[in-house]
Order: sequence, then C-alpha cells, then structure tokens
Amino acid sequence: MERPPPVKVRFRGRIRTADPNEPLSHVLGKGPFSILQRSIRYHRPRAPFCGVGYCTQCLVRVNDAPNVRSCRYLPKEGDVIETENAWPRPGFDLLGALDWIFPKGIDTVHGFRRPVFLTPLYHRVVRRLAGYGELPRHPPERPPSSVGPPTPTDVLVVGAGRAGRAAAERLEEHGVSTIVIERERAALPLASLRAVHVGTTAVFLSRRSAGERSSFGAIVVPEGRPALAIIARAVILSPGGYDASLFFAGNDRPGVVVADQAERAGPVAGPRPFRRALLFGGGPRAAEMLRRFGESVEAVASFGSIDPEVTLRASELGIPLYPRTILLRADGRARVRSVRLRSRGGETTFSLSVDAVVLAHRRLPNAQLFFQLGARMHWEPSIGHYLPDLSDTLETTVPGLFAAGEAAGFPPDGTAAESGTAAANAAAGRPGAPAPPRPPSRSVRAHELEAYYREFLRFRPSWSKCIVCPCEDVLMDEVEEAHRLGYRGIEVIKRFTGAGTGLCQGRYCIPDALLLLALLEGRPANEVGYITQRPPVVPTPLSALAALPEEVGT
Amino acid sequence: VTPPRRGEYEVVIVGAGVIGLYTAYHLARAGVQRILVVDRGFLSNGASGRNGGGIRQQWETQATLRLARESVAAYRRFGRDLGYNVWFRQGGYLFLAATETELARLREVHRMVRSEGLPAEELSPERIHDRVPALSLDQVVGGTFLHSDGTLYPFPAVWGLYEAVGSLGVEVTLGVEATGAERDASGVTAITTTAGRLATHWIVNAAGGWSSDLARRVGLEPANVASRHEILATEPLKPFLDPMIVRAGDGLYFSQTMRGEIVGGLTIAHPPGTGAGMPSSPAFLRSMARALVGLVPRLAPVGVLRAWSGFYDDTPDGLPIIGEGSGLPRFVQANGFGGHGLMLAPAATRRVAQVVLGQKSDLDPALFGPDRFRDAGRTATIERLQLG
Repeated sequence: MERPPPVKVRFRGRIRTADPNEPLSHVLGKGPFSILQRSIRYHRPRAPFCGVGYCTQCLVRVNDAPNVRSCRYLPKEGDVIETENAWPRPGFDLLGALDWIFPKGIDTVHGFRRPVFLTPLYHRVVRRLAGYGELPRHPPERPPSSVGPPTPTDVLVVGAGRAGRAAAERLEEHGVSTIVIERERAALPLASLRAVHVGTTAVFLSRRSAGERSSFGAIVVPEGRPALAIIARAVILSPGGYDASLFFAGNDRPGVVVADQAERAGPVAGPRPFRRALLFGGGPRAAEMLRRFGESVEAVASFGSIDPEVTLRASELGIPLYPRTILLRADGRARVRSVRLRSRGGETTFSLSVDAVVLAHRRLPNAQLFFQLGARMHWEPSIGHYLPDLSDTLETTVPGLFAAGEAAGFPPDGTAAESGTAAANAAAGRPGAPAPPRPPSRSVRAHELEAYYREFLRFRPSWSKCIVCPCEDVLMDEVEEAHRLGYRGIEVIKRFTGAGTGLCQGRYCIPDALLLLALLEGRPANEVGYITQRPPVVPTPLSALAALPEEVGT
Repeated sequence: VTPPRRGEYEVVIVGAGVIGLYTAYHLARAGVQRILVVDRGFLSNGASGRNGGGIRQQWETQATLRLARESVAAYRRFGRDLGYNVWFRQGGYLFLAATETELARLREVHRMVRSEGLPAEELSPERIHDRVPALSLDQVVGGTFLHSDGTLYPFPAVWGLYEAVGSLGVEVTLGVEATGAERDASGVTAITTTAGRLATHWIVNAAGGWSSDLARRVGLEPANVASRHEILATEPLKPFLDPMIVRAGDGLYFSQTMRGEIVGGLTIAHPPGTGAGMPSSPAFLRSMARALVGLVPRLAPVGVLRAWSGFYDDTPDGLPIIGEGSGLPRFVQANGFGGHGLMLAPAATRRVAQVVLGQKSDLDPALFGPDRFRDAGRTATIERLQLG
C-alpha cells in the first residue's frame, strides 16, 4: 500500500511534519514518551500512559478543541496543536512547584476553611488550578448537524478482535444482518466484513421494549463525527481487555506505561522510545512484550512467579529475572531513570537503572457495557475483576445480550475466536458447536496481588507520591485516610476521594483500589463492591450527542 | 451492615442524607439521647449525593425564601462548624427568560426577592452577556440575578454531618431499610426494619425519594411522589462560568464546579415512583446536549464525562412537607423537597427538630404541614419557581 504524503501541523507555534496514519502523540515533543501536559492538582509532568484513549496523560488542544487525546488523534494538514494546563510549557511548568510544596498532597476536603474571610480567594485560586483545557475561543462554524433515524440491524457486534470478527463472519454465513463496531482503526483485517465501523466506540447501550419484543438501543460515536444510533435485536459484546495499572510511588512518571502503549509506540514501530525498560509481569502478556522488543528490556520483574515461556526467552536474551518482587518506586522527573525493587519476603532492596517501566502483569476485561446493561456479573479471582454470568450459549442474564472473547473470560491466545462463533450461532438462533469452557486465567490471582499490596504498604517510601487515580491526582494516602475516618466500600471511597471520577472512568484506579480496600477493610474484594458504570463509556463530545435522532430511545 | 446497637430509641430517623443527618445534628445538639439514623443504601447514595449543588434564595414564596436565606448563612459557616469544606461558592444564580411571559414570571419572583431586602438585579441581554460572555443570547430576552446565591459540593456536606452526628453520640446504620411502624392510641411505638423491630418514640421520615413509599408502609396516604431526574457532567475545563444558569422555559440548569466540570440537568418526563431505579436515558443525553450546545455553542467539542440520575421528591404545591400529621402522631415528615433538599436543609431541619422537641415553630402548618393536602377547599399557595 502506498504511504500517504506527510502533513504539516503547527505544534506550539512551530511547524512539524507528521505521518497522517501515526497518532499525534507519537510526533509531538521528542517522540511517544514526551511530556505533553501537567497533572490536574500537583502539576506533575505527564506523558502518554495507556495508548488506547482512556487515560488523561496525552491531552492537547487541537484546532481550538480542548482535551483531545493525542494518542487517538490522526494529524491533518494545517492542524494547530497547543498544550494545556502548563505555563510556560509542559516540560517546564512553574506550577510544578506545587508538587514540591505539598509532598503529602493538598487536603481539599478539610483544608481551606479558615479564616472565613479568605474564602473567595481560596475559591479563585483553587478554581484556576482545576480543569485541563480552556473553553474553545470560538463557537463551531456550523451548528451540530442531525443524523438520520436509527439504523436497524439484527445483531450488533461490539469489538472486532478475534472473537468479534469470528462472530461477525459466522453471522454473515447465516445471512443475519450485522453491524460491527470497532474502536481501533487498524485492528485485524476486516475487509471481508460488510458493515463495519472502525475508529468507533459504543458509548451507551440501553434496553428498549416495544410490545412483546425487546431490543437494544446503541449510541455509537465515530471519532470526530456525530454519533449514530443503532437498534439491534441482539448484541454480542466482545470489547476485549486492556492492561492494568499498578500502584507504586512515582507510578505516573513519564516513561511508565502499560503494555498497550508500549505495543503501539514500542521499538518495533519507529525510532526507539526506550532502550532499557523494566518489564513488569510474568505471564502471557509479558511473554508477548519480550517477543516484540526483548532487545530493549533491561530486566523482568513480577509480583508473583514467572512463566517458563518468559524465563526461556529472557535467558536467551540474557535478561535478569526478578520473580516475587515488589516495585516500590520509580524515580526521575522528566523521565524514569531508575526503579527501586524489593524481593518479597526477603531482605534485599535494590535499584535498577532503566528508561521505561512497561506494566504487563495483568489484563482486565472491558466490563463497562455489561454493567451498564445490568447483566449479572461475578467476581473472578483469577483475574481479580468481574465477568458476566453466562449460559451454555454465552447469553448473559439479559436476554439477547451475548458475550465473547477476552471480556467474557476467553483468552485472546486461546478460545476467543471459538467463543465468538458460538455466540454468533446462539444470537442467530442456529445450532452449532458448543461454546468452549472458560479456562481460569493464567495472568493473575487476585489474592496474590492483594498479598503483594500488603507487603507494598509496609515498605513503600513515605516521601514519594503514590498516585491511585492519575486523572484526579488522588494519592494512596487519601484512600487510607478515608478508610481511617470510617468510610467503607468503593462507592463511598470514590465519592470521598474523587478516585474513579476522572476521564478514564475508573479504568486505571478502581480495579486495584478494590484490592487495596479489600486489604484495608478485611473482606473479599467483591464485597467492597464496584462503581456504577455511568454512560458514556468514554467521554463523548456534546456535539456528537446533540446530533442523535429523537428516536434514540428513552 | 452493622446492626443497631440498642433495641430502644428516642428518635429513629429514616434517611442518612442531608435532611436526616442535619435533623439528627440539631436534635443531638439539643441534648436528645438515643438517636438512630437508618438508611437503605450507602452514604450519599440518594439525592444528597446526586444533586447539582445549587443553593439559591430567589423564591416566590416568602416562607421558602426565608428558609433558603437562613440556609445560605449556615453553609457559609459549614466549614467552621462541621470541619468539612463544602466549597460554597457564591457566584450567583442567573435565571434566563426566553419569552416575555417567562420574563414576567421571573419579575414576580424578583419583586418578592427585592421586598425581602436581597439585592437581586434584573438583567438585560447585554448585561447577561457581560456576566457570561459564552452564552448565546439568541433566545434570551432577559433574566434575573442574585449574587449571593451559589453552588456547593454536596459530598462533604454529607461527610461533615456524618462525622459530626457520630461524635455527638448518634448511631448511623447503613444498609437497613425501614419496613413499617407500630402504633398505639398515642402514636408511634416502634419502627420495623430489615434489621428487626426497634422501639422508638419518634420516627422522622427523611427518606427523600423513598419517603412516600415509607409513608404508605405506615398506613398514610402521601401527597408527594418520587420523580426521576437526570444530570450529566462534562470533562473539567478552566473556569469560565461563575453563576448557576437556569432557563425558566425548560428547566435547563448548569454550573461549573470547583473541579471545572459543567454539571447540569434538564427535565425529561419519566414514569413516577422509585420502581425503575436510577438509570440514565439516551433521550436525556440527547436533549441535554442539544440544550447546552444551543445556549453555550462553544461547549460543542467538550466531552460528556458521565450521566446519572436521582429522585426529586415532588409535592403538588412545590413546597416541602414538614411536621407531624394527624394520621399518625410522632411520625414526623421531613420530605417533599422537590429537588431542593440540600438547598433548604440547614433551616428546614431546625424546624423538624423543633417538632420532636415540642418547641414552637415559626413554620405555618397551612403551608408546610402534612395535613394541608387533606383540605380540598383550601386556597393553596403554590411555589412555581421549582426549577434549578
């Protein structure tokens, strides 16, 4: 395929050339791990972290629109890109002093109460610090357009990974009308599928009942365009999973990334953004990372044991292994320079010089839409998260809603495709091969991660911030303080601390906060509860929602 | 769930929202012992944790206006008195009218507000533009503004009260639902709950959206009814909006929180009652997005972060229900706030406590008493400014 010509964009006043097929975050600054913004409270330097458009760490202003995720945005000729929440620039921000002045954090719950006559001043200062981008300077040239009536279909498939693709292919074989939604632009080859929308996210699914038949209403948002409404008789959810974050001091430093981001920006894709990474994890995902860019890995550490697959590949490359190891902290300001590790149950604490930390220790299912539709979920200890209850035909407790792939507990390297085919047969009402069993995940056991955090709490450095929720800059100390004051359960801790109320919708804080609270509250993680999954699943522009047709549903 | 510690109480308050907790606070400070607060959900699960945080004094009825005014004074002191910062920011309330009829209605309220000595202003479209340049004035003919109205952050109000009542010896038991009451000729003798029967002299019904359900369970015929309302919040932006904006025509309201999010709602008709739970609807997202983008076109590319819903507890006349009815003595109603519970809580709950303490209250039972709905022939005072 012919490469499209590069485009010119203006970044902080300077012209840059960019590949129009490469996410904007890869070409800004000095490559994919550059500081693009400052955090919301303490103005800590932040660089892209998740690579998949969930986290808050790559926001820039594009053509007057605030808070654009540069890891998802493809540059266009003439784009004007500015940075947000930093003065004079993200690399050197005067308000970064806040981070030094308040090493233990700012208590906005109890603080700023006295003297009362200073209240208006406190309000002005704190308001000014809050928020990422400015309101656009100009209204859009055209008012938001309306789209047509909802598109009807028999089956809606959400997610076109291995499972979703297999499901869509089988549905086409059955001659069932199908629409496929895929969030990634360049997923698996999808050319054979007819109605597929790439770069499109299903942000809100709801049940509709008209007479005897019930159906599903879906709001789907193609990036940068008005939302679409779809009405489907059945839905197959196969939205896959994502790589989890980890709590340690300095876990938000530029250069600390999840495997999803390393995969998209890693050494294979272009100039090497890192050469000496600490790879954290010992399961299949870590093995995948080693296969992709083992040459750039300095050491492998894991909270638990390390799989033979990883051991073998690492020994071929001469990479040292540190099983059962606590990642205490990452140091370095503009970029991770070193990590401090401690062997679990042992006495040794040691440092490694690295230029990145790649978190590949844990995959989490995208459970948001299942929760949103009210499907019954159960706690799965082997992944430390919730999975939908499923019938033999992979139907959830919501009639007409089926699940397949990683989000349903079928590993991507195993039975994911089979599960997609089985769900498609059931959704089409045709008999087929029985669904594969759901194997226990190899990646993590929740109780082991809980025990890991028990040790982490004993040895963690007290002077370096451990960020539970990077979107809102919530510190681990604040979660512990809320617990100490008697607040219990994840819903209340969320409201008390603000953790989970940021742009990632709790994806990178709530799963591990559940384990932390299980530890503090002395009860199983599933009794700590789960946060209500509120629509939309990802932040969705008002203009996109305003374009929806009236028949979108109640 | 920790079960209640005792079998016998002086007062059992149903509902651990701002109304229930504030009532407990006033009672405990007046020296009442053995107070229990029960709630069916977790702390802040109800409307106290789901509202937009608006606190206004612009009311059509004098009595409500005075309650609101007293509450504003209380919220200004909240941080000092209760140890938690509710971030009560007095950026004003701006009511917008799209037609001359709406403007005439706002003017009636405005006259009442002025007659009470509050420095409210009537604003021309030009003055509105000066205050909030981002607003599109296409469909605005005028508005009213009161600078000392404002917004606060509701959660710390709940935390502050929760801790304060705890330190005053009040028991708060979460995850326990009230199922009914026992009575003798003199009135309430006990409350039945999912944690068992508890003897008590008084029951305070501060169950918000669920308070009419409770009233029915104890054999009363409530006039109030729960209605579901939805809210959304956008991504946080740098401050550009000082006042709370309320549009008289469709009830659109929104403000910018201390965190920078635009938080607001719009009325969409949903079936009454608590039966359907608290889901969000696609229709709300669509209508709210259209309304916001219509009034503030520059918000178009800004992302909606989350939407949620909660219950208003509506009464036929738009006024809350405060007091003991003749149907069941010692069963005190503290509900029917119609989405303004947080706004009126500090002052309204002082009157609730006065009922239990047997003190004289300055509230007119003809306006606020539970029995007012029984008298079919009465000339009702109606609060029409129910928006925002």
